[in-house]
Amino acid sequence: MSAPVETKIAWRVVFLNDAVTRMSYAVMVLRKVFGFDEPTATRHMMEAHEQGRAVVWTGLRENAEAYVFSLQQWHLSATLETDEKG
Amino acid sequence: MKRVEVRLSIAAVAPLLDIIKAVADELREHVAVPVALTGADAELASVWHEDLLQSQRDDCDRLLSLFDQEFFTEGVVAFDRDNAEAVLRASAALRLRLRSARLARMSDEALEALEADSVMDEIDEDEKRAFACFVFLDELQKIILKYLDPLSVDEDE
Repeated sequence: MSAPVETKIAWRVVFLNDAVTRMSYAVMVLRKVFGFDEPTATRHMMEAHEQGRAVVWTGLRENAEAYVFSLQQWHLSATLETDEKG
Repeated sequence: MKRVEVRLSIAAVAPLLDIIKAVADELREHVAVPVALTGADAELASVWHEDLLQSQRDDCDRLLSLFDQEFFTEGVVAFDRDNAEAVLRASAALRLRLRSARLARMSDEALEALEADSVMDEIDEDEKRAFACFVFLDELQKIILKYLDPLSVDEDE
């Protein structure tokens, strides 16, 4: 019997820009939550700053939800996305 | 992180504390960032929301506790390993709430630049005080981040 389809769907954690949050704060939080090194966190922060959003992680829904929750605890805006159509 | 003591102007900061306290009270019932839980069941969303609110309340309490007797006599607030992250998070939440509830008329550009000069004639006294809180909380974050990671703050300059 195959595993439930849900577990195979990739979910994206999308970090959203806002006009309030200090850049160095966002970089620190991305490093702390995802374990990114400084250049990677800075690249994601700049992408969100310039384009409004940055995909910072992709994987299983449960993990993605945990990451979004952690970002929201630090008051960074983030959302979940998937290609799967409901 | 070592204990860092910062001396503030009591005359400049004390008038801001009533506003900061009022905004912290608002954050006891409202999350600073809307919960984004696509397609989750209602129970999970409710638990998530309540956990975020509780975390936010705890952080704001830590920030407000900085302004104790020592602050009102010496003008000193102290950060250390135990309170730095909570104060960072509380400052972030308070600034977001100030922006959405009290500085909604200011442009993103003015806020990002932390420059109200161009709009000072257009905003009222309440907005000016809210903006002063917004800038003060940014300075608190800047000080803490500088001691957590001295190179990081340069990126903002």
